[in-house]
Amino acid sequence: MLRLSDVNVKFGKTPVLRDVSMTLPAGQTLAVVGESGAGKSTLIATILGLTKLDKGLITWANVPIKACRPSLVMQEPRAAFNPVLSLRRSILEPLSAKREVISETRLGQLCDRLELPLEMLDRKPREVSIGQAQRAGILRALIAGSPLILFDEPLSALDAVTQKHTAQLIADLQTELGFAALIVTHDLGYAAAFSDDIAVLREGRIEELTPTPAFVQNPQSDYGQELRAAAFALGALEYVA
Amino acid sequence: MTRSLLGLFLRAFVVLTGTALATFTLLWNAPGDPALAIAMARFDAVVPADVIDLVRAEAGLDAGFWAAFRGWVVPLISGNFGNSSVTGRPVWPDLASATSYTVPLALAGLAIGLAISIPLAVLATRHPGSWLDRFAVGIASLGAAIPAYWLGLLLILLFAVKLAWLPAMGATTPSHVILPALTLGLGVAAALTRIIRSGILEARGQPFMPALKRRGISEHALAREHVGPHAAIPVITVFGLELAFLLEGAVMVEVIFGRPGLGSFLVGAIEARDFPKVQGVVILAALLFVGINLVIDVIYRLIDPRMGTQNA
Amino acid sequence: MTLSVSGLSAVRSGRTILFPTSLEIEPGARIGLVGASGSGKSTLGHALIDTLRAQGSCVAHVPQSPDEALDPLRRMAFHWREAETALGLPHDADRQQALFRALKIETGDLRKRPWGWSRGMQQRFVIAMALIGAPNLLVMDEPTSALDPIVAARTMVLLEDYLAARDTALVLITHDLGLAAGRVTRLLVMNAGRIIEDRPTSELLAAPRTTQAASLCAHRNWLALPC
Repeated sequence: MLRLSDVNVKFGKTPVLRDVSMTLPAGQTLAVVGESGAGKSTLIATILGLTKLDKGLITWANVPIKACRPSLVMQEPRAAFNPVLSLRRSILEPLSAKREVISETRLGQLCDRLELPLEMLDRKPREVSIGQAQRAGILRALIAGSPLILFDEPLSALDAVTQKHTAQLIADLQTELGFAALIVTHDLGYAAAFSDDIAVLREGRIEELTPTPAFVQNPQSDYGQELRAAAFALGALEYVA
Repeated sequence: MTRSLLGLFLRAFVVLTGTALATFTLLWNAPGDPALAIAMARFDAVVPADVIDLVRAEAGLDAGFWAAFRGWVVPLISGNFGNSSVTGRPVWPDLASATSYTVPLALAGLAIGLAISIPLAVLATRHPGSWLDRFAVGIASLGAAIPAYWLGLLLILLFAVKLAWLPAMGATTPSHVILPALTLGLGVAAALTRIIRSGILEARGQPFMPALKRRGISEHALAREHVGPHAAIPVITVFGLELAFLLEGAVMVEVIFGRPGLGSFLVGAIEARDFPKVQGVVILAALLFVGINLVIDVIYRLIDPRMGTQNA
Repeated sequence: MTLSVSGLSAVRSGRTILFPTSLEIEPGARIGLVGASGSGKSTLGHALIDTLRAQGSCVAHVPQSPDEALDPLRRMAFHWREAETALGLPHDADRQQALFRALKIETGDLRKRPWGWSRGMQQRFVIAMALIGAPNLLVMDEPTSALDPIVAARTMVLLEDYLAARDTALVLITHDLGLAAGRVTRLLVMNAGRIIEDRPTSELLAAPRTTQAASLCAHRNWLALPC
């Protein structure tokens, strides 16, 4: 279980995360929604250990988060890969750093599940579509075998249909492999459809943390209400007769 | 704005102090006995040892490094460049007169450089990849590859020797500045043309340009109000660096054309081991450099106020 | 007056990215131009703008993000004046005030440059600027994707309120049928450089004829809640 207790992060004198506490049980999905500048990216960087904590504690299974080595899926699929290396080299890099190998059969299986032809891995990031590049990014995160994967706006570079398709792929893989997913997104629709809990982040603070079905029916905070109304206004959520 | 300006001044101060210290250290540690050199320059004969010691004491060379450094820097702050250790006369009048030859030459070179490079770059970028564009880039590369002394000699051969239109050596009439300025200007034009050209192309590639065109803004207004300012930013950046080249080039050109100025002033001072004069030239050059870079930084901030703020 | 264009097409590096297309747009129409990325919808939008403008219609364009609409070195007041000049209009402070009020950006400081404003305000400024000439047609290319949802929703509502009483037609280009479905009455579905369906919104949502349209319809929202 991922546990953030009372996490505070400051950039200089400006607080960016304030008293953030949340838990994410193994195998489950927590969506963190909020506007740009709310501290979503800082939250990811903090869990990855890239930012210094001003105060607080982050643990996985009651030991400091470092031991868990969470993986990351980034927002811009193509920028997430070294442009001159083949996707395969980039994807296998975290393994070779740990002097581990993966059997070609296993790699083939994962590619299959992600609907990536195995030979596509020999291409460079520019030579595949954005959707394919993002699925390769997910593959890289999976291969490290971490029990926790962080998703930083994983769908925002994709078009509406590909978004839903990719979200379903992630969810299916999660059922199969059992990793916990922390998804940072501005899209409440995605959060509503694919998470167990929704945390609303605003100006560095957790405004509310509610089980997703309850949130979809009726968010507790005013700001949560606004986000929900906007999701309906933009057609991300819809009422049907 | 006030804070960033303060930062600029602090930077200028650090650069000037560093230059002063570095120059002084270099000259202090130069091989050979400076007192002997001064004495020989002054008396032009074999000098007895006690005279050399006298010179050493008079020039403050026996007081130790820091004392000598202080003895030079403290008056300098109030604008006193000290006295020549060879002639004993104040450095400043000679330095000022040398500067009054060099600065107009540098400015004329710059004006010629801009007058050539801006139209050439604008013409070249009208149709990127066209023969005109390739011609301009080729000329610019060629110009950058030709050293000033060679170009200077070619110009002398053509305009002074063959055609006899212009005087070659000296600085007695205003027309004497034409050939040196042209030599300098052509070198400047070569460097600037490439910078301005790529600046314009980069500015045209800015993400908002298509939408401005689609808004119905005329080509002319687009070029003047949007491409121009964006292209100016890299050009101004390089300009600060180009300035060093300009001063250096002016010094070289002066020597080629036998003009009085900082070039011959500096060469003479070095040959005579006239420390105060050498230091004077270096400090003056550093002052000019810092001053102009300060102005450039301010212009920067006027064009793009994001510079030096968190928004940058 | 109905806007009408025919034979719009586009070729880029030897490949046809827009096949000859004709289109009629009624005054005050609300049209959604939807399709996957690379289907040619932005290309059609641009061709539409250029052609109609060449015919003498007043057509305005709002790009995806304010970064693609505003020069960061120029003040907001300059952008506004420039847009007026481009339309051949004199400066009119009342018109400006009215548009600013309609889009709720009257508090914005026009002496500032774009980056001195929030992105939501910048985008509404761009929309206000597009409305200066009371255009026959407003083409918006993914107008909400660079904005946070709350700001995006508010922006669309303000714009729709403003357009409600006017003859300006709206073409909304988006990959997200869900965004378009609630705000347009006619949908154009694009695929591989062609319009493959052109039907009233309710009809298309109820019974899409092509697989591409069916896929867009099936994926138009994340979650459908019972009323």
